[in-house]
Amino acid sequence: MKLKSLLLTSLALALATGAAAKTIELLNVSYDPTRELYVDYNKVFAAYWKAKTGDDVTVKQSHGGSGKQARAVIDGLQADVVTLALAADVDALYANARLLPETWQKRLPNNSAPYTSTIVFLVRKGNPKGIKDWDDLVKPGVSVITPNPKTSGGARWNYLGAWGYALRKYGSEDAAKEFVGKLYKNVPVLDSGARGSTTTFVQREIGDVAISWENEAFLALKEFGADKFEIVVPSVSILAEPTVSVVDKVARKKGTEAVAKAYLEYLYSDEGQNVAARNFYRPRNAAVAAKYAGNFAKLDLFTIDEVFGGWTKAQKTHFADGGVFDQIYSK
Amino acid sequence: MRTFTRIGAALFSVAAFSTALPAAPADSADLQALREQVQALEQQLKVLARQIEIKEEAATAAAPTTPKVTVNDKGFTLASADNANSLKIRGLAQLDSRLFFDDGGGVVNNAFVLRRARIITEGTFAKIYSFQFVPEFGGSSISILDANFSVAVDKALNVKFGKFKSPVGLELLQSDSWTFFNERSIVTNLVPNRDLGVQVSGDVLNGTLNYTAGVFGGVPDAASTNNADFDNEKDLVGRLFYSPFKNDAASFLQGLSFGVSASGGREKTASGRTAGYKTDGQQTFFSYAAATIADGQTWRFSPQLDYRNGPLGLIGEYVVSAVNVRPSATGVKTELQNKAWQVAAGYVLTGEDSSFTGVSPATNFNFEAGTWGAFELTARYSNLKIDDAAFPIYASASTNADEATAIGAGLNWYLSKTVAFKFDYYQTKFGFSPLAPAVSGTQILRQDEKALISRFQVSF
Repeated sequence: MKLKSLLLTSLALALATGAAAKTIELLNVSYDPTRELYVDYNKVFAAYWKAKTGDDVTVKQSHGGSGKQARAVIDGLQADVVTLALAADVDALYANARLLPETWQKRLPNNSAPYTSTIVFLVRKGNPKGIKDWDDLVKPGVSVITPNPKTSGGARWNYLGAWGYALRKYGSEDAAKEFVGKLYKNVPVLDSGARGSTTTFVQREIGDVAISWENEAFLALKEFGADKFEIVVPSVSILAEPTVSVVDKVARKKGTEAVAKAYLEYLYSDEGQNVAARNFYRPRNAAVAAKYAGNFAKLDLFTIDEVFGGWTKAQKTHFADGGVFDQIYSK
Repeated sequence: MRTFTRIGAALFSVAAFSTALPAAPADSADLQALREQVQALEQQLKVLARQIEIKEEAATAAAPTTPKVTVNDKGFTLASADNANSLKIRGLAQLDSRLFFDDGGGVVNNAFVLRRARIITEGTFAKIYSFQFVPEFGGSSISILDANFSVAVDKALNVKFGKFKSPVGLELLQSDSWTFFNERSIVTNLVPNRDLGVQVSGDVLNGTLNYTAGVFGGVPDAASTNNADFDNEKDLVGRLFYSPFKNDAASFLQGLSFGVSASGGREKTASGRTAGYKTDGQQTFFSYAAATIADGQTWRFSPQLDYRNGPLGLIGEYVVSAVNVRPSATGVKTELQNKAWQVAAGYVLTGEDSSFTGVSPATNFNFEAGTWGAFELTARYSNLKIDDAAFPIYASASTNADEATAIGAGLNWYLSKTVAFKFDYYQTKFGFSPLAPAVSGTQILRQDEKALISRFQVSF
């Protein structure tokens, strides 16, 4: 009797669970080089959510230059979450379309940046042009690959890394402007995103050095061979903090708020942090960071708040129409 | 162009340097220098190729969101990438020459006429909402011809509001650009023109049956609404048009459509009865006495037919239009039934298909290339009979005809889908009430009307 009762109860539970199981689809609009990261992360999160709720989650990805992606979401791309290269691009979703609250960045730990990265140099094996630091990028005859700061978040980190270095070394905004101007004179091709720049440097074999996201540089070595490329770590660089957020207006409309929130929160879990580290992003979790410490170079890092007063100011000063980048770059 | 020129120059330079290499280099420093130059040129080539690649990627990425601008014989169209939203500007201009023959010389009626001049603005939003706004600058005054808004819920259900053609007359429903003749037949005298109202319509039964039903303000024969119809009487209008063989491509009758339309309402006052009926030459041959007023029920009934088979087109319709009239506010009321019918045919000599929506020439007129566009011959026979009871109380027998019988023959030359010359000859014979005098009091009625109407038309 007891066994029969147990079997019947189990059957009823199974039926109830099966009957209630849902299939949920999320759209994650991300920046250019995170393809591999989110292929891995989405599998891990789907397994976690299935175990937790019984529901199936499919996460569709969209990748491109961070600024372009933000514009696409503002123009109507139905993103449940955004995982962009920098906070200013997520801010734009509020400023232009009120797609999320103004205080979005406070909702998740570490100002909604579950992992960090930095900017390094990718050079050809043997480093034929002897690139050691930022100064080498402005020398005549050195061809530098970096994307377009108007469309790419990574490109903006690159630009600010160069500016921050020059400001420290040469001591003035004018000197920094002159330095960055010389750097861009050495740039033959401006891709719209970081992945495009990797393609230009690695596959099209253009340029002597690519200013690159650290994770993108590691991926290039992994995919194309450590016998073809090297990473050069500059003396100082910028701490790049890609940020993530639920796009509240879209998630509310699609009824995916709970899943979207959980999706981003799980990035901070041990498993999420391990996935990030395995994909060459610097994890926030101290234990995971210690585990992968050997993979990441130790270098002097400055933050955008320290040198530029935050993203709002940096965006307005350097990357808005008519800003410093427009002034120094001309084709 | 500059990019390709630069690529070509780089290639030439590489080739030139390659052929300039000596068979036995003088020293290794020269060789090294040449090697570096070649490498630099190779890099330049790669840079140029990558710049082109990036531009193409950007263009491909932008294509799904890039609005489309089209300028062709259908007008100027600005549409979103997904075609859900669009704005279209079209136009119609018709310049006529009217020549009348054997009309006794005392009638001043030969003229050049700007028959129609319209800017047609149409738009669609979110795929299903559309509007149309058409001011008319031709004729003797400027007016708003059409102003309406539609919601296309489904192929089987479209809801339309505003001012537009009342769905009674078959030939009236055809666009002014594409009728067989410059002027519609005298049958169109008996049907309402534009009216204000709301209508539902759609295609059902696998697209073979078109239905239309509407409520309108109600206008007299041949009239359009003046936007001041303040009464409690509205007209109900309905139409069914059936194309039983529409989906049978092998059938000889695939192009056959037939149906019936009807309207019913009530009219009062002088403005409630028609201002008059006109000939093919646009001269008035019948009008009610000034004191005659409409007072009571009006109705219309019209069986109609259209047939197209390759270059051959046929159209036929019969209309009965009934109106209750009094000779004055207190006079005796009588229902008058005026009747008309027509049969018209067109044949496209150059072989293009005849169509309710116009002939599209296979080739446009091009004198140098020796292509002439399309030519269409047309013919028509029509008749309109006034109710005998109209005379003499409600209309003067001495100044009106009680019947008009018209023949028409025409040649249409479509230089392109946009430009056409049309040449029509009409001859109308008049009949009179037995109460009429031997010689009509109206000069144009004393002989057959013989008119040559030529038209230059631009329609896009």
